Parts: sequence; C-alpha cells; structure tokens
Amino acid sequence: MIQKKVCMVGVFGTGKTSLVQRYVHSMFSERYLSTVGVKIERKPLDLDGTALTLVLWDLAGRDKHEDITGSYLRGAHAVLYVADGTRKETCDQLPELRALAREFAGDVPGVLALNKSDLTGSWALSRGDEKALEAEWDLVRTSARTGDGVEETFRRLGRATLASKEARP
Amino acid sequence: MPDERAPWEQASASAQYDASAADLAELRELILGAERRRLEELERRLDAEGLNREALAELLPEAIALRAGRDRQLARALAPTVENAIGESVRRNPRPIATAIFPVLGPAIRKAIAEALADLVSSINRALEHSFSPRGLRWRLEAWRTGVPYAQIVLRHALVYRVEQVFLIDRDTGLLLAHAVAPELTASDADLISGMLTAIRDFVADSFAREREVGGLRRFSVGELTVMVEQGPQALIAAVVRGEAPDSLLTRLQDTLETIHLQFAGALADFDGDTAQFASARPLLEECLATKIATDHPREGRQRVVWLPWALAALLLVVVLGGLALRARLRWDRAVARLRSEPGIVLTQAERDGGRWRFAGLRDPLAPDPAVLLAGLAVDTGRIEQRWEPYLSLRPELVLARARRSLSPPAGVQLALSGDTLRATGSAPLDWVVSAERLAASVPGVSALDLSGVTAEVPPELAQLQREIEGEQVLFDVGSAALGATARSAADRVAERFGRVEAGAAALGTRATLVLIGRTDPTGSDTANQALSRDRAEAVLAALAVRGVSRGGTSVSALGTTRPLPAGKPADRARINRSVSFRVSVGPQVGGEPSQ
Repeated sequence: MIQKKVCMVGVFGTGKTSLVQRYVHSMFSERYLSTVGVKIERKPLDLDGTALTLVLWDLAGRDKHEDITGSYLRGAHAVLYVADGTRKETCDQLPELRALAREFAGDVPGVLALNKSDLTGSWALSRGDEKALEAEWDLVRTSARTGDGVEETFRRLGRATLASKEARP
Repeated sequence: MPDERAPWEQASASAQYDASAADLAELRELILGAERRRLEELERRLDAEGLNREALAELLPEAIALRAGRDRQLARALAPTVENAIGESVRRNPRPIATAIFPVLGPAIRKAIAEALADLVSSINRALEHSFSPRGLRWRLEAWRTGVPYAQIVLRHALVYRVEQVFLIDRDTGLLLAHAVAPELTASDADLISGMLTAIRDFVADSFAREREVGGLRRFSVGELTVMVEQGPQALIAAVVRGEAPDSLLTRLQDTLETIHLQFAGALADFDGDTAQFASARPLLEECLATKIATDHPREGRQRVVWLPWALAALLLVVVLGGLALRARLRWDRAVARLRSEPGIVLTQAERDGGRWRFAGLRDPLAPDPAVLLAGLAVDTGRIEQRWEPYLSLRPELVLARARRSLSPPAGVQLALSGDTLRATGSAPLDWVVSAERLAASVPGVSALDLSGVTAEVPPELAQLQREIEGEQVLFDVGSAALGATARSAADRVAERFGRVEAGAAALGTRATLVLIGRTDPTGSDTANQALSRDRAEAVLAALAVRGVSRGGTSVSALGTTRPLPAGKPADRARINRSVSFRVSVGPQVGGEPSQ
C-alpha cells in the first residue's frame, strides 16, 4: 500500500477544514487544530488502479502563517494550499506559505484550492488575478458547500505525489 | 587495434623513420606487450565464448555475497525463483523439504503450544482464585457495570503490563510503516494515530526546543496507558503499554529499532510512501507485544478510583439505609403503641438494642399473645425478647372474657358487663342458670350476676307439674273463707304435685316456690275484700301445710279485687275471682313477675 503525507495549509477562514471534512476519515476533533495545531485525516484514492492513501495533515492557520508549526511540514510529499476567492488577501499570502513549505518540506508539488467558488457574488479576484494565479499554480476551484472540485483536488494531489517519486532525492 | 600514438609521433614517423618501423614495433612489444596480450585474451573470451562457466563458478559465491551486501536487488530478483523452486520441490516430493525444516518447526510448535497452555492454565487459575474473593466480586461487578467480559477484567487487574500496540513510523513523514497489535485487541486508524503521534512529538520538541537534542518525547501516559517512543535516524518505534511499563521495555524497543534499521536500511532511506516492503518488519514488532501478569499479586500501588459510580453507590446506600432505619423506627413505634393499647397488657419496659427488641411488663393470661399481635404488624418476631408477669386485669373486656370462660354460657345466652354486674340475657337450661349463680361469684371483677334476662328452661316433667298446679283453682262462697269438699281435694292435688316439684328442684340444686294468690269478687269494701283474700289464701295454705307443704317454700299474695281474673260474663267473673290460685317457680328468683 502506498501512503503519502500531504499537508494542508491556508490562511485562517479560507474554509480549509470544512473543505475536506466530508471527504476524509478522521478520528480527531477540531480541538486538535487549536491545541496541537494539527489534525490528521485519511483520504483513500484509487488512481487508475493504484491504491493510494493520502494522510492529510490539516495545519492550523489562525491569523498569520506564523502560527503554522513548520516542523509539521517536514517530510510532506505534497502541499495543498487553500485560499479564499472572496478574500484577495488570502491569495496574497500564498507566496509566504509556499516559502515556508519549501523551507521545511523541500520542493514538493503543490495544488492550490481556490475555495468558495460558489460565492460568485462576492468573488474578489479579477480575471487578471486568476490568470496570474493559474500561471503560477496548479489551481482547482473548489466549494466546500457544493463539494465542487474537492475530489479533483485530491486526485491531482495524488497524481502529483506519484509523479514526483522520481524527482525526490 | 587502434593507433594509440600521439599526432606528433605519427608525423615524425611518416617523415623520417619509415625504416625503423620494425624497431618501433619491437619497442612497443617490449613496453606494452604483456598488457596487450592480456587484453587480447579478455577480448577473445568475451567475443568467442561469452561467460566462461569455470570462471563463473569461481566468481559466483563471491559475487552473490558482494551484491547482497550492497542492496536487496539480488534477493528481490531471486525470490520468485526460489519460491517457485520450493513450490516445485514440494509438489514433486514433499518429504525432503519437510525433513529439512522439521528440526526448526518441531521445537517452535512445541514452544507455542506450551506457552498457550501455560497462559490458559494461569488465567483459569486466576479466575478461580478471584471468583469468590471480595476482589473477585468487585471485578464481577465491574464486568457487569462496564459490559466488558469478566476474563478481560481479571486480566486487566492482574496485569503488570501489556504491550498492546507497536508502531513503526517513518521519521520524516510520520507515515505508518508497520503496526502490530496484541492478539485479542483490535486497533483501527493506526495510520492516523501514527501521524498524530509524530505531530505531538514535533509539537513537544518545538515547545521545549532546548531539550530537542536529548531525544525529544520518549514517554507519556494517558490513564492506564503509557506510550513509549524510541527514535532512530530514519524511523521511530512507539509502543502503547497498559499498566506499569518497565524500563527494560525501552531497551527492547531500542534493540528492535536497531535491528529494523539494519535490515531495512535501504527501504528506509528510499521510502516514498510504499509501505508494502515493511510487511516483513511486523514479526519484529510482534516480538515486542509482551504481556506480564503478576503471579503473586501485591497490593496495587495506584488504584484508579472512578469516584462517580462509587459516590452514587454510596448515596444510594445512605438513602436505602436511611429508609430502612426510618421504616424500622416507624415499625417500632407502631409495635409499642399496639402493645400499650392492648387491654390486659401493661408495658413497663420497651427497649431497642440493634436488631433486638425487648419488651417486659404485666400480662393477663386472657390477653392475646404479644408475639401474635406484633406478627400482625409484620414485625420479625424472631428478634423479640419478652418477659411478662401474669396479672388479672379488671378492664371490662378482660372481666367479660374471664366470665365467659368460667360460666361457659350456652349458645342462647349473651353476657354483658355493666359496672361490676354481669348481666345475662337469653334462655338457658335451668341447671346452667343454677350453676351460673354459683360460679359468677368466683369471677374476679364480677360482684353480681343479673339473671333477670334469662328464661330458665325447666325440665319437662317439672314444667308439666307446674302447669297442672297453676291450672288448679280453689273457689269460695260469697264472703266466706271456708274450704269446701272440692277445695280440700284441690289442696290434696296441689300439695302432692308441689312436693314432687320441690323434690325435682332440690335434685337440680335449687328450690321451688309456691305462691298462693287470694282474690275476692267486687262486692263489699276494698279493705274487707283485701282481708278476705288474705284469709282465703291463708286458709288454703293451712290446708297445704296439713298436707305436708312446708311454709318455707310458700308465700301468700292477697290481691283483693285488684288484678281480677278475666271472664266473659259478670256472674262468672265474680265466681272465679272468689278464689285462690297458684304460681309455681323453680330455681333462683328468675322469670320475672308471675303472669296473670
């Protein structure tokens, strides 16, 4: 069986936890996020016949990324970044998060979930902003409410971890 | 063979020294000849014959050892072939393989069986040992309360420690490489626990950064569980231990971790999420799943007190005991009140001493048995001690009861007490009436017997005589008190019959009374008539006396014209009222007034 460690990072309020909670198995309560700063979940996937289990480390992000315990990122095979499409500042902090991930996990693949895609009315990103993000990121538009894009995000993460096998030292 | 000469060498050779080519060849032969021949030999071997069997046979063992030391590729490559070969061999003839592995399997199987049996015997012993002890009962209660099987409760308490789970965790990713769990337990989500353990370890290490170099989190406890963590360069081993985890266990974990690092060095270094290659590490982890049970069970040092159920039990106990005490108290009060209110019982002492009740006092023999009274109040009479002095009660109920017992009245008679006079009503045989009068005098509390309400049933022969006497009438002439012949013969009959009545009454222990009732017709004055009626009665009485009737049993009643005898015609009425008639009574003075 193949397991991969995936860390989930995002600015507070981007709906990171609620994005995945319906799609993963967890035995720990939300309390862990505020106490230990991490909550671990499991997401089994079947990628073209390859059974793969993503062990998700949902890292707490309260106000700033400084709250994230860097050592939790160590050994991650991939990083799931979560930003909120209705709050542009959450996207602005993505480079800092990526830098943090690189520092602790190395140059591992990452997928950006641009969340709250259902709230088109309060969408804060211009077409240009999105273009710029797409150029830089493997981007999936997601909605915690409708579930749009969530499975796709996991699959992309899974594929990325399998593809990067050779790339890792 | 290619020309290996340098360019300058080639140029000068072609220009000046063609003749000396042979010399050069000779020189080359001198310098490089030996090497060239070896190269040619190698070339010949490679080109012409491929790998020489001889050489291969020479090199193979060394090559295998070399490669096996470098990585696991050779083992991986050979594994399918070896498996097939063994399979084929067994298919063809199982005996050689069986013979070969028998010396290994035999002792292993024996050991496993012996251990299983020893465990079984020991757990049965323990269960029996604890079955009926207070501790056993407590454990049974716990089993009942928690729904956990009794055997597991016994195990849990008799346990010194048990390694329940062992995790092998990749150090960097926190991914679970291998996991072993004690046979009778189930563990789910080991991969999540593994991740969380790593996270907690990181969390602790980051929080107490200074201690990090010393080795980070090595041991923490949760209730009865202790988690022990040993850290290697590439992997961690963590054991979940129930009970008192000994330090020797850490050494054991260290050893195991070292062995794993040694055996799986390559796999650990190259680990990229594929845990299948660590399946063979599981037996190593399983070796750490030890259970130690106390054979001699010293008092547990730290007993976990689950206070809430105990507090509830204690509260319940208090309520129940309080309720019982209250009930006992009420019952006691009721019992005392009952005894006090009972006629014929005088309670002088009532004590309650633990479960024993003591009563003492006076009791009329005719009063009901106190034990029976209390039994009626649902009191356990087995715990009652009682001491009663007999006495005679003058309470009306008791006096009446005593009278009933002494007189034993016939069914037709009711007794009642009025003050100290016993009144009887109804009808009874004469002999009872006679004896009642005598007996009543001896009943304490009764000073008089009133039999006026009792009709004495006179024996028939006496009643017959009585009727005959009372049917007689002695008639007189107008104004006269002299007895004629008819009167004398009537006196004869009356005297004779009354004598028999008197004899019968005497036989019954009583006496007979004869009343002579004198009357006159209405002519003349009342005074004269009164005197005349007396004279007439006296005259009959004298005649009876002559005929043997004693005066003691007789009396005279002179009515004159009062209460005349009734008759149809006035002439008849005058005639029958110039007479003396009789009234006979038998027994004590009962039966009321003489009837007309």
